[in-house]
Amino acid sequence: MRRGARATLLAAWLLALAGLGWMVSQRLHVSSDLRSFMPAPTTPDQRLLMEQVGEGPGSRLLLLSISGASDGQLASLSQGLAAALKKDAHYSQVLNGSFDLSSLDPQLLPYRYLLSPTLDTQPLDEAYLADQLQQRLDDLSSPAASLLKNLLPRDPTLETLKLAERWAPAKSPELRDGVWFTPQHEALLLVQTVAAGFDPGAQEQAIEGIRQTFHALPGSADARLELSGPGYFSVLIGAQTRHQADWIGRISTIGFIALLLLAYRSVSSLLLSALPIASAALAGIAALTLVFSEVHGITLAFGFTLLGVAQEYPIRVLSHRRAGEDALQSVRDLWPLLLTAIASACIAYLAFYASGVVGLQQLAVFTIVGLLVAGLSTRYLLPHLLPRRVRDVAAMGWLIRARGWLDRLPRPRWIPLLVALAIAAMLALAPGPFWQNNLAALTPVPTVLLQHDARLREALGAPDVRYLLLLQAPTEQGVLALSQSLQPQADALVARHAVDAIELPSRYLPTVAQQRARQQKLPDRATLEQALAGALQGLPFRADLFQPFVEDVETARALPPLTPERYAQTPLGQRLAAMLVQRDGHWLGLATVSGVHDVAALQTLGAARGGAVHLLDLKAASESLVAAYRTRILQALLAAGLLLVVTISVALRSARRAWHVLAPMTLATFLVLAVERVAGIEISLFHLVALILAGGLGLHYALFFERDTGDPAEQRRTLHATLVCVLSALLVFGMLAWATIPVLRAIGLTVSLGVAFHFCLSILMAPHARSLSGLGGRGEKAAVGGQIAAALPIHGGSMDQEAAGIWTPQTDSQPGRPRPDRLLKTDWAHLIPHAGTMCLLDAVLAWDERSIHAISAGHARRDNPLRGEHGLHAVHLAEYGAQAMAVHGGLLARARGSEVARPGRLVSLRDVALSEEYVDHLDGHLDVHAECLYADDGGAQYAFRVEHRGRLLCSGRAAVIHPQP
Amino acid sequence: MIAALRQPAPAHTAFAEARFLNMLDRPLVVSGQLSWLGGDRLQRRVEQPRAETAMIADGEVTQQRDGKPARHFSLKRAPQLQVLLDSFVALLSGDAARLQQAFEIQREGEAAGAWTLTLVPRDARVAKTVARIRIDGIGDQSRCMHMQEADGDLAVDLLGPLAEKMPAEPTRAELQALCAGSP
Repeated sequence: MRRGARATLLAAWLLALAGLGWMVSQRLHVSSDLRSFMPAPTTPDQRLLMEQVGEGPGSRLLLLSISGASDGQLASLSQGLAAALKKDAHYSQVLNGSFDLSSLDPQLLPYRYLLSPTLDTQPLDEAYLADQLQQRLDDLSSPAASLLKNLLPRDPTLETLKLAERWAPAKSPELRDGVWFTPQHEALLLVQTVAAGFDPGAQEQAIEGIRQTFHALPGSADARLELSGPGYFSVLIGAQTRHQADWIGRISTIGFIALLLLAYRSVSSLLLSALPIASAALAGIAALTLVFSEVHGITLAFGFTLLGVAQEYPIRVLSHRRAGEDALQSVRDLWPLLLTAIASACIAYLAFYASGVVGLQQLAVFTIVGLLVAGLSTRYLLPHLLPRRVRDVAAMGWLIRARGWLDRLPRPRWIPLLVALAIAAMLALAPGPFWQNNLAALTPVPTVLLQHDARLREALGAPDVRYLLLLQAPTEQGVLALSQSLQPQADALVARHAVDAIELPSRYLPTVAQQRARQQKLPDRATLEQALAGALQGLPFRADLFQPFVEDVETARALPPLTPERYAQTPLGQRLAAMLVQRDGHWLGLATVSGVHDVAALQTLGAARGGAVHLLDLKAASESLVAAYRTRILQALLAAGLLLVVTISVALRSARRAWHVLAPMTLATFLVLAVERVAGIEISLFHLVALILAGGLGLHYALFFERDTGDPAEQRRTLHATLVCVLSALLVFGMLAWATIPVLRAIGLTVSLGVAFHFCLSILMAPHARSLSGLGGRGEKAAVGGQIAAALPIHGGSMDQEAAGIWTPQTDSQPGRPRPDRLLKTDWAHLIPHAGTMCLLDAVLAWDERSIHAISAGHARRDNPLRGEHGLHAVHLAEYGAQAMAVHGGLLARARGSEVARPGRLVSLRDVALSEEYVDHLDGHLDVHAECLYADDGGAQYAFRVEHRGRLLCSGRAAVIHPQP
Repeated sequence: MIAALRQPAPAHTAFAEARFLNMLDRPLVVSGQLSWLGGDRLQRRVEQPRAETAMIADGEVTQQRDGKPARHFSLKRAPQLQVLLDSFVALLSGDAARLQQAFEIQREGEAAGAWTLTLVPRDARVAKTVARIRIDGIGDQSRCMHMQEADGDLAVDLLGPLAEKMPAEPTRAELQALCAGSP
């Protein structure tokens, strides 16, 4: 391709990428809600977990502590923060210990007689009022007088304070300067966010809002604000994981670039080879935005991991290029194999699409589109851009030595059996449970923070995030009634210290029925005034002092009972709303529990209620959800495995060859599992995804090693490409294996181990290993022989004659595409100048544009013209190669319909390597292969090799020129 | 003069208090013992007419009555107590600086004879509730403490030997005379 055209193509490609990038930036909506990645819940507990718990009261709670200043300053900071956050719509509840009566809605004050339990046991009669008023008199002479003075005329029985006590957290922290303090001199606050706990994005906003508010307060500069709680942890861990992944990613990217530069010594190759991957990622995301309205963050993370396979494609193209060969040509050679790899991976991922889980479907769409785009752009775009001149890696000395060493390795047939047995033994002996269902264990919260959290939770009596008591009833009022009836049992459990506190919804709002019952007990105005007058006898209170009290009772008698809707406007109503949930035509009450000491006792609470009350263990529910999810992945994997077997068998058209590809891949995958299990690692979803990636890489290694090519140079290129792939994977994932965050370590370790095992097993189980090992023992001698052959005038008389020979190919009108048909000698013998016994080849088995495969059985004949006194020396096999080249040239010219016969002259013979000295004793026929490396008007270069029953006897390169007439 | 009032902790003194409240037709009278336990810890034990103990410690007030659970609240919410603590502890510990810090001080009379200290809270929030305090004394003895609240309510505490002289139904004038009178 010309320079201008290359530049245009590159510009068009980059422009397309920019377009995709723009589209992605416009349409991509990343969801961080874990629930959208999870499968549809099946059990009621799982459903509740998915639907409610992320928004449940416990998971939305943030625990705040302020430290680093004097108690007085801390208290005023606490008050300032609470006041500011109460005005902010992002927070549904802010508590700091100060209970301000004036914050109660005056409109709701008369409701105190309906909400407080006093009237259940105590009518507002003269005796009660007299006792209460006497107590108030004592209060007035006590230090608490100023607290009550303003309240007294309206509320002589102090119902307001009784409600305040009832609504205060069950176990209040120490109050200092009017706000909660820990014994460690930290001011404490409880903040409930409106945002769901499962939504790290929204939690991050809420947390940032708290920080900003705090730092805007006067005097906050020296004080330290610390947060805790599920939402904060998810945000913190997310950020830490990202930070570590970025940090490791930067180092391994540098290493990766250095490795590729070292391997290919070309900056432009390096940059260009990044294009298919970039295209894959952008196209994958673009496809996701078209198919799904929302893309989950985990899909992207997993997807980018799995897309790592695609980096293999450009690496293969770079490594497999021969000297002087057109990049397009080398891609064409690789394409059948690459296509097999890409197609089988894509077909396997279809199983994930069929899983029915949205998260996995997204993963499948992303990966399939990505791999196809990476593959197709590597095939059809990249070769046109690659530099014209490259180094043939096959010529590198270390690679030749490495390949030789590998070829000499023993490859006993019992390796698969041994590995399988070892895997079985390791899996059987592995300690601990096989599966890790607790995803949180992979992103653990640092112990210091957990201790801090436990300390604050203990001090605040904040609800447990693990357990939730569920109350189910057909109506909202039914839930409240159930809650009310549970209260005595709940109190008994608290008294027995089975649990520190149980917060039932009826704590905030009694049923309408109960409110009506209390209303019935309120005396009418006349009765109350009479009772009051009696009670006031002998007390110094002013006669008309309690008129507001009489008015409030009168109002309360006529009030419509308070319902959750009417209540919802107030802060306490919002608290209640979080505890009452409507679902599928019935209502659920979510009661929080704090400080669970005896789970079994707590479970008995629902025993006699016929399933209307039950204790939800959020940890168990989420673990069962993860287990269900894993089952879906395993099913998808099984289906993917079967699809892979079928695809590979069809593509290779041989069950035996498919075995050589799939067996090492399968064994290596299980070997990784076994080794990790023996090391005590419990397998999680992340391990499974990492295994899939390693399996994808292993498929490439096995496919390329399995490729039956008798060409040592090509085998060296395969080794080179695979080594670069293995090293780059080890570099990237090996670094991750050192991460301190378990989820990164899980992925890194699994892929690293997988890559290593896949590499070793696919080499050791490669099918042509045996024939190569036969050559291996004589490798040294062969190389020496080759050098001798190159130094000596080995062409002899016949070669000279051959070199000077002129071919006069005849023309033929047949179009010359690959033809596997066997061509008998009569069909082509006239195309070359050799005649009689000197025409050494017997038949052409196959040929195409680039190569020819001929056979000859004349090597054993005593009348072979090249035979010496000890027999036919292998050196003369070069002549067989040269004749195959000549026949190829003739066939090509005939196919092109060339009218003019062109003379050819053999001008050089290089790198001739022999593995035998004499070949006349060999039975049967010899296979003669010649492959055109380069051809133009002036001449051609060929690589040739002569084999006997798959064993290489002689190989080398030859050049022929066509002298201008 | 203030240094002369200093006493070693714990210091106990009898008291009798009369509260004149707007919402009441006649004053409330209680008597008992005030104790300074050192530091910012003050105990107010009422013996008549009903036993009750209030303890101020670490910014928190604990109120205890027979047969009832203790009640706790923050000192911040009871400005009268805050004032009592600031003035009483400062006087008993002879800490003039602390008194100066919490109040604007006016003095009449002389250290050796009869004297009167008028204290106006510097903290505006406290001053909203407690307008001023007047302490009458002779020599190194405080005899009376008047706490004038902003809403017109008044508490008069007779201290030490004078406590015994609290009438059953005192008037403001009677108490005024008692405080001003010679020992």
